[in-house]
Amino acid sequence: MHFAGRSSLFVAMALAAVGPARAETVVKIGAALSMTGPAAVYGATQKAGILAAVDEINKSHMLKGVKLEAVIEDDASTKEQGIAVFQRFINRDKVAAIIGPTLSNTATAADPLAQAAGVPVVAVSNTAPKGITDIGDHIWRVSLTEYQVIAPALKRMQARLGFKKAGLLYGNDDAFTQAGYNVMKASLEATGIAIVGTQTFAKPDKDYNAQLTALKALSPDILMVSALAENAAGIVAQARQLGWNVPIWGGNGFNSPAFIKNAGPAAEGVYVGTAWNKASTDKANQDYLALMKSRGVDPDQFCTQAYVGVHVIAEAIKLSGMKGTRAAIVAGFHKVKDLPTPLGTFSFNKDRDGDHAPSLQQVKDGRFQIVP
Amino acid sequence: MWEQLADLYATYQSTLGYIGINSLLALSVYTTLSCGQLALGSAGFAAIGAYAAALLTMRAGAPFPLALLAAALLPAAVAVPLGLPVLRLRGVFLAIATIGFGEVVRLGIVNWDYVNGAQGIVAIPQKASLWMIFLAVAVALFALGRLRGSKWGFALEAIREDEPAARTMGIATTSYKLAMLVAGAALAGVAGGLEAHFTFMVAPNGFGFGRVVDMLVFAMVGGAQVFWGPVVGAAFLTLLPEILREVAPLVGIEPGPLRLMVNGLVLLAVILFLPNGIVSLPQRLRELRQARRAAA
Amino acid sequence: MGQQIINGLFLGSIYALFALGYTLVFGVLDILNLAHAAVFMLASFVALALVGHGIPILLALPLAVLFAGLLGVALERIAFRPLRGRADSNISGLISSLAMATVFEAVALEIWGPNISRFPFGTVPETQFSLFGGVVSKLQLAIIAVAVVLFLALTWLVKATRLGREVRAVAESPRAARILGVDVDRAISASFFISSALGGAAGVLFGLAFNSISPDMGRSVELKGLAVIILGGMGSMPGAVMAGFALGLTEVFVVANLGASWRDAVSFAGLFLVLVLRPRGLLGTAALREA
Repeated sequence: MHFAGRSSLFVAMALAAVGPARAETVVKIGAALSMTGPAAVYGATQKAGILAAVDEINKSHMLKGVKLEAVIEDDASTKEQGIAVFQRFINRDKVAAIIGPTLSNTATAADPLAQAAGVPVVAVSNTAPKGITDIGDHIWRVSLTEYQVIAPALKRMQARLGFKKAGLLYGNDDAFTQAGYNVMKASLEATGIAIVGTQTFAKPDKDYNAQLTALKALSPDILMVSALAENAAGIVAQARQLGWNVPIWGGNGFNSPAFIKNAGPAAEGVYVGTAWNKASTDKANQDYLALMKSRGVDPDQFCTQAYVGVHVIAEAIKLSGMKGTRAAIVAGFHKVKDLPTPLGTFSFNKDRDGDHAPSLQQVKDGRFQIVP
Repeated sequence: MWEQLADLYATYQSTLGYIGINSLLALSVYTTLSCGQLALGSAGFAAIGAYAAALLTMRAGAPFPLALLAAALLPAAVAVPLGLPVLRLRGVFLAIATIGFGEVVRLGIVNWDYVNGAQGIVAIPQKASLWMIFLAVAVALFALGRLRGSKWGFALEAIREDEPAARTMGIATTSYKLAMLVAGAALAGVAGGLEAHFTFMVAPNGFGFGRVVDMLVFAMVGGAQVFWGPVVGAAFLTLLPEILREVAPLVGIEPGPLRLMVNGLVLLAVILFLPNGIVSLPQRLRELRQARRAAA
Repeated sequence: MGQQIINGLFLGSIYALFALGYTLVFGVLDILNLAHAAVFMLASFVALALVGHGIPILLALPLAVLFAGLLGVALERIAFRPLRGRADSNISGLISSLAMATVFEAVALEIWGPNISRFPFGTVPETQFSLFGGVVSKLQLAIIAVAVVLFLALTWLVKATRLGREVRAVAESPRAARILGVDVDRAISASFFISSALGGAAGVLFGLAFNSISPDMGRSVELKGLAVIILGGMGSMPGAVMAGFALGLTEVFVVANLGASWRDAVSFAGLFLVLVLRPRGLLGTAALREA
């Protein structure tokens, strides 16, 4: 046995001395996505973005000598499986980096494992302001936090519409929408706008008539909603059905084609603060839209952020000498600056959070249009 | 080779931990099942234990053993005023009442700002190690095993078989049922406390109706007639998603829907053909073989 | 105020329709059919698929309801009948129905994916009326009316037809019913057919009303349905309808005055109080405590 071991070692050394015939390093990126469970809608679109990015990068040979491979696993929207998936990525598949998980709650449970093992994690849909990147220096984020999107959008809305009284409606059983509400509330208080009423709903709810009627009776000038896409469509449709024509402003969750599709004409005029301006004429964005169209995908914000996540990893590999190791990627992240992406020019800020300009959109003629 | 083993261990370490945690949760449903009561409040008890432990270590700097003790005692204390009115109800009504209790606990947490509502408590230090979890399971199994063949064990069995008769025989049925509910609550609480310190965080969405249904399924699939059945069920069903993850690409179905389908079918098969759970499989095979021999 | 009453009646009619099926099976078989919400969901998808193929909604609805009824018969045959002799049949029945619910959800997930679907715009007319100072749509009125009509039809069926008498006999005592010559299997199958058809109707109407059809759409009504049948009294159909409307109205007014955070807590606390103080519910007659 020992003899065989030594001789194979000798052969390997001989081969190494001769030199490999154009060997490509395969860099594995693990993607922990919610393909089942309550967050399945987001996982599906994230997968599309990741696969598109990996294919594009490999085909374009932008990383000389490096081939990306995406390993996608389902975390079932639970932390138990999120942790299991992370452990597989770290110890079995030995990935160089991890993208995900989809939900912030899962991230707070699974990311610490990657941090401890020295594996970089790129969060592409976690928007909770605390508890993600502050886990450690291997956790980076592409998705803008609620604060980064809502606060500037609110200022622009106020300048544009001049509202004095706001009504709030948010989903209080989901970390994403709850974080959004917290930021909305803080931003409103900071600008001295009165909050005349606050109502909540739960994710599985479909009927919001009671909440909307109660808020309508308080006559706010604007209705601000922090909801996921499936609730968003129902809320807006029911508000209009009740005959309430108040301007509506939605948080990050509204930024999905599913919202417009399901709300139909009721979506007209709704403002959405967003991390992704779909209508941007930047080359990076237009190329991305064309790419997704050729793959038969109608992208939403989650898809785009996942796509950018892969590109940021690729950029980090490039900037660190094409090494594709875990440490090299982390070093590369520190160097990423003004990368052109569909989200705009992207950099990491000093907290390892994403930094690019957010946008304000309004639904007009059944599409998101940028508000200048 | 050692490196491979170390990697294997690291890959499945969390799965092993969850086998232990899920075993405790399955046992917490089993305690009342063993006297014929279907009490489904364990998700609520686990939530109380998890949050109590997390708050004690995070906000009060308490040592972990103390936090675990609180995780056991607080749900147990809550189980008493819950159990007294509710254990009088039969069958499905008890189940519904305890489901309602679990939902009220979850909603309370979601609406309580002090614990961050839906976002939960994060960055909990990982104080629960594998050996601690397995020790807890071992202690629970030992305690429940001791009941068998004892006066308690017979009383519980009598209550399960025919409660009115048991009462006529002078067995204090309410006390026994309450004791089992309290024991189950303590087990669930400890499981919650351990999980909180194993996975770095707690959030209310991990303690909904779906979770307690999972616990019931662990107990039933493993076998609710013997005290170690639930552990077998928990182990099997915790490993199953990981096994399916390997199998799915070979079969050509996405692992997610495959896992749901397999869960449903396994549960159906067990209920219809193996009502006493996986642990009764050897016995069942023996019976089938004997029947075939007799017919021949 | 008027608007909130309309909201409450509308929500209540959905709860009532859903609970009617639930309570029927419980009354007859003493089993909680946890697959009811999955049948609710599948019927909605079937109606959606039919409409997608160009079938008008007025035809698609009864077809989907028929599908639901047949699914219920199959459900009974696969998941409940084999368990009938067993001592712990209500616990094992519960688990069996849960298994079927999981399978149904997996099938829906595989076929239609996790996304939310809606009926195409214009499937139902969007006309609205003004009533009591509030706004109500034609569809909402139709749903309230359908709930009441189905309840009356069901009551007639149970009280005045032979099938109804057989079902009631089986509910009272399957053994006695068999001795009296009732085809117990057929009566039970019929009960499941009716129960699931009602659940299916609730599902299609729910899908039309809220335009939010997905494999997990049953979740929001599932637990509320439990609260409704407890409040109304297990096995009592008028109870289910009354309690459905009562819960709908109560929820709406709790939301209006205390905020939605309290809404579910109130429902479950109410459920709890009823179970502890008056387990029979409003109109139930089932034996609820140990003898």
